Amino acid sequence: MQDFLQFTLTGITIGSIYAIVALGFVTIYSVTKVINLAQGEFVMLGGLTMFSLVSVGVPYWLSFIATILFVTFIGWLMENLLIRRAKGADAISLIILTIGTSIFIRGISSMVWGKDQHTVAPFTKNTPVEIGGASITPQSIWVILIMLLVVGLMYMFIDKTMLGKAFQASSVNPMAARLMGISPKRMSSFSFVLSAALGAIAGLAIAPIIFPAYDMGAMLGIKGFSAAILGGLGSAPGAVIGGLLIGLFESMGAGYISSGMKDIITFSIFLLILIIRPNGILGEKTIGKGGL
Amino acid sequence: MKLRGVQQTKWWGVVVFIAAILIFPLIVTQSFFITQATFAGIYAIIAIGLGLLMGYAGQISLGQAAFYGVGAYTTSILTATWGWSPWLSLPIALLVPALLAIVMGYTMSRLSGYYLAMATLALGIIVHGLLVEGKGITMGASGFYGIPQLSLFGMTINQGVPYYFLVWFFVLLVLILSLNIVHSRVGRALRSIHDSEIASSSMGVNTGRYKMQVFILSASFAGLAGWLFAHMSYSISPSAFTFDASILFLAMVVLGGSGSVWGALIGALLIRMIGITVHTLGEQFSFITSDSEHVIYGLILILVVIFMPKGLFPTVIDWFKNTSIKRAEKKSSVPVTPIKQSVSE
Repeated sequence: MQDFLQFTLTGITIGSIYAIVALGFVTIYSVTKVINLAQGEFVMLGGLTMFSLVSVGVPYWLSFIATILFVTFIGWLMENLLIRRAKGADAISLIILTIGTSIFIRGISSMVWGKDQHTVAPFTKNTPVEIGGASITPQSIWVILIMLLVVGLMYMFIDKTMLGKAFQASSVNPMAARLMGISPKRMSSFSFVLSAALGAIAGLAIAPIIFPAYDMGAMLGIKGFSAAILGGLGSAPGAVIGGLLIGLFESMGAGYISSGMKDIITFSIFLLILIIRPNGILGEKTIGKGGL
Repeated sequence: MKLRGVQQTKWWGVVVFIAAILIFPLIVTQSFFITQATFAGIYAIIAIGLGLLMGYAGQISLGQAAFYGVGAYTTSILTATWGWSPWLSLPIALLVPALLAIVMGYTMSRLSGYYLAMATLALGIIVHGLLVEGKGITMGASGFYGIPQLSLFGMTINQGVPYYFLVWFFVLLVLILSLNIVHSRVGRALRSIHDSEIASSSMGVNTGRYKMQVFILSASFAGLAGWLFAHMSYSISPSAFTFDASILFLAMVVLGGSGSVWGALIGALLIRMIGITVHTLGEQFSFITSDSEHVIYGLILILVVIFMPKGLFPTVIDWFKNTSIKRAEKKSSVPVTPIKQSVSE
């Protein structure tokens, strides 16, 4: 029981990160129908930029904000320079475009930051807290809180603001949205900015726990993508549920069987769920075909 | 009689290809380049299969390295552990990936689009994980060693020129088989699926069955490549069959042109050549490292998708055809009807 609680806490922590990454996938997908496999690189850039800023002596919370701004800028750049120019390309080509971008960003990062893992100080003092016999670090609590905050803010933004409504409209019916004076170009650009910011936040939150390195983005991107698919592509609540589930499968697999088997177990369960529910847990029939 | 929309295999292309294979070892004699050319052939086999899947059936596989790895490990275990003859294990190395594809295909038949892409990616990760973790059978991450060499009529096929010819002989077989498939009724059905699945299914094309068949074929091709790879090297390790390898195969197809058998072949050659060029430059200039290779791969993928969405080979052929039409127009001053049908040979 004590083990179970411990694995659950670990699973929810890592699952929160997957959930934020998956929200990034959904944000871009719902407006542009692009699957951005460079999403994991935003997380990596978030963690490593934070490391660099802190190590040159920028105050902690200032570098926090600067990191989010920098990664957001990269997301904006990516949409403006690459995605926008390939608008006519089919779905397979667009996936490959984002894979190319991800390889490119990873290559540059390994030149800038080297191949070592880096250490980032936690947000607050990091003495583990005991909960019912299981221990949890304050940073893990921060990660979970940040996930909840992000989900809350996203909900407020999408449902309560005018910009969010425009965003929703252009994902439901791009043509009608256009007729109502919503610029699809701006919305596409905005979706990349928003999901880059989400990636950066995930990177900042996880950096003190997993020691960021240039190659951490690939696996995070894959897990985030599988979370988005598992929840049902295009559904934001689905992405959060998918992320938490993937995190739980992983920590249970690592805890009860072996850490080498965790990916095998996670993706086997993932495939089983897809066989039962081919459109994901909360997915609708028409969503996710993406022209493929 | 030439029917509209019916394409035929242009045999002069195959003849040029055979000549190039035969001439290459005469011009280039360094063993390093022969080995690289052999690898390029192995990759070309996978790329041609993946090209059929992507360009003709319109499906994306992010886990092609799984089939490649399964083929390689099947033959390694059969020959080294069980003492089979490599030639006897060849059909099994083709069959096992095909069976895996059938299981995948049937259970995943309700999936499409990005869901299918993610399912193949998951398969790739699971297979790679099993190769690392199944230490009793696969010898784990350190690699499987002791794979016997191939021999034919009592003579060992050594690495180098003999193996080069063996690999490219198989590439030739795969190429001719694929060209014949795409120019047959099956190929036309596949192209129609790629253009519009709904339209072709309402014309009576059994879209599910064709897509399944191509998926199985591409898995078998990858298995063949795995067989060739295993018997070329004395040892293999799971690190050759990762997600990165799957992406590399994808890059070959996209670079060459996914709607073209020749394109996939050329894509595989080009990707290999880029790798070699960066590697050789890296030996001379210390600032060029293996990281630069990744940056260049990434840039190439980006540039190709943006500027040549159809891929290199079809773009070049289209350009060539259009300029020759313009020249013909100038000469005769009578407009020649432009070729609307894009090349998809």
